[in-house]
Amino acid sequence: MSKIFTVTLLLLITHFGAKAQVVPNIKLSTLNGESFDSQQLNQITAKPVVLLFWATWCVPCLNELTAINDSLDDWKNETKFDLYAISEDDSRTTKRVPALVNGKGWKFNVLLDNNQDFKRELNFSNIPYTIVLKNGKIIYRHAGYVAGNENELFKIIKENQ
Amino acid sequence: MQLRKFVIGLLICISASAKAQLSGGLESNAAFYIDDAKIKLEQIEARQRIRSNNYLRLNYKLKNFTAGVQVESYEPKALLNYSPRLNKTNFGNYYLKYKNDKLRLETTLGHFYEQFGNGLVLRTWEDRQLGIANSIAGVRVKYAPLEAINFTALYGKQRNGLGFDFTEGTITGLNADVQLSSLLKIKKSKFGIGLSYVNRNQQKQVYESLNKNTFVTSLRGDFNLGGFTADAEYAFKSKEALVEFNTVRPSFQFDGDAYLLNLGYAKNGFGLSANFRRLENFGFYSQTQLAGNVYNQAILNYLPALTKQYDYSLTNIYVYAAQPNLSFEPSRNKAGEIGVQLGLFYQFKKETPLGGKYGTYVALNYAQWYGLKGKYDAAQRKYAANKFAFGQKYYHDASVEVRKKWNKKSSSVFTYLNQFYNARYVEEATGQVNTNTVVFDNTLRLKNSKSIRLELQHQWANAGFKNWVAAQVEYNFNSTWSLFTQDLYNYGNTDTAQKLHYYNMGTTFNKGAYQVQTSYGRQRGGLICVGGVCRFVPQSAGFNVSLNYSF
Repeated sequence: MSKIFTVTLLLLITHFGAKAQVVPNIKLSTLNGESFDSQQLNQITAKPVVLLFWATWCVPCLNELTAINDSLDDWKNETKFDLYAISEDDSRTTKRVPALVNGKGWKFNVLLDNNQDFKRELNFSNIPYTIVLKNGKIIYRHAGYVAGNENELFKIIKENQ
Repeated sequence: MQLRKFVIGLLICISASAKAQLSGGLESNAAFYIDDAKIKLEQIEARQRIRSNNYLRLNYKLKNFTAGVQVESYEPKALLNYSPRLNKTNFGNYYLKYKNDKLRLETTLGHFYEQFGNGLVLRTWEDRQLGIANSIAGVRVKYAPLEAINFTALYGKQRNGLGFDFTEGTITGLNADVQLSSLLKIKKSKFGIGLSYVNRNQQKQVYESLNKNTFVTSLRGDFNLGGFTADAEYAFKSKEALVEFNTVRPSFQFDGDAYLLNLGYAKNGFGLSANFRRLENFGFYSQTQLAGNVYNQAILNYLPALTKQYDYSLTNIYVYAAQPNLSFEPSRNKAGEIGVQLGLFYQFKKETPLGGKYGTYVALNYAQWYGLKGKYDAAQRKYAANKFAFGQKYYHDASVEVRKKWNKKSSSVFTYLNQFYNARYVEEATGQVNTNTVVFDNTLRLKNSKSIRLELQHQWANAGFKNWVAAQVEYNFNSTWSLFTQDLYNYGNTDTAQKLHYYNMGTTFNKGAYQVQTSYGRQRGGLICVGGVCRFVPQSAGFNVSLNYSF
């Protein structure tokens, strides 16, 4: 059993891992309760789209979003991109999201992934997590955040204008 | 054998079609437990010192169809204190989904995760740290006749362990959500209602006399105008037998209910959120006997603690867990909980006295929870709880968090937390604890994307473990490599044998879709809680490796 597991895994990583993926089709919602189809993200083709997965209780996530919010005006002056911060808060904390986003004065779009369906379909476990899309294809993934990581993200944005 | 056939089949499918999409993820968490001078594994656990939990998820998408499988492998044995049902290698879940956006129809055969409303009546989800993966296997149909009207119907058995291991109940669920404002073409405000019904049918009851069916139902509404939001939900559970220490007591049957109210107000630079909830005998499980089990199995609804979730080690020693269940003990009667939480977020703008050059962010939080006041008769297993009166105090927390950027290079987060924790009721242990905790988390940016993070913590506690001090240093070479070392020291513990240092050191590697973490050191024992649901882990020492990869 475990042999099969290993062999399959190696096959997958070597043969199929490199192929660019599209974003799965999941219903998200905006902060004022409107539904937002994740397919809309695939239709933005002229510029890169940055997806940042976070939660109200995740300190590194808040560090990342605060750092990016501080640099946002400079980045927008130099490049064109869309940015969506996707909250993975569950019903324990999801009601705090609008209060926190406004309290922090964030200038980017925020979406809610209600029962973490989007995260599950994207196959990652831990936040913070970053995905960059171009022409509806995933071109970059990064797990975790430490101070300074936003510089690499900006480099990816610049390279994909 | 089944697994082998499936995997071969899948590989053939993959190679056969060029248009199809394959995606997936792998997570692997392994530990090598060692005994050091102070921390030793229990004898029964010491037989297997190397352990790992592994999850491989694959999705295969072709046009409107998606097929998916998760294989889980706990080899040679699962990490400490996971359910014994998570053992060896087998399917965790598998599904086939058809989704047609034009018809607004989605059908799933096999395992699915679902949440109705706030999750008071139904939520199935996966949390690998907690060992929760309580998906329902069966059939689910989602249909929206109009954009503003959404129906869900589901039928199936709940996952218990691996493969075809399900709990005894059969679950039927119905849900409807209607956006009334958009049906009425109202633009200025938004409002809607929702209705849910979930039934558990358990044919094989421990006692003939027990009802085979128990249901929960809920009605909710939400309202949104400008920056103001409000939503309320009431839920009711029909009668079911009392379960005491895993024993069903058929002569004592109780119904239960839940009230939830959330209010919020937000405008640029300011946000407020308030929650009220009352739960009475509201735990709901897919198998009667499993009510209140320690491995969080068979949970059908989600009753998180409505307190702030903290991310620092010393702020997570006394964690409140919601108390929805009935228990009769002469001096510890419980029928549920009632309480409130308030959260406030505020930004002192740039170029103001308190804002400085970069602005200052403040978050305040206050939560307090009580038992239900009423008359209890433990001997007769009878009680009558007041609707809206506070009983025994279970918990409170009050916290301030200030986030400040000093200059282009350095920033800090300061947290102060005051807690009251009634262990006698929350953990069914003894005593009450009052704590004060401070955390000072500093980041310094260096040249070429390098950075250092220094985290200092102290906790004063008048009982329980008494005082703690903790420090963590993290050095980040670049976006790929980091090193960290930390120590938590329980210097105030009155039991000198427990005055331990919980030290840890490790590395993190993040590159593209790969993440590898290694560490060596000691883990503090206690409750690991995510979203207010907790799992107990014993203390341990040793090496840990975790790997994540997704594509």
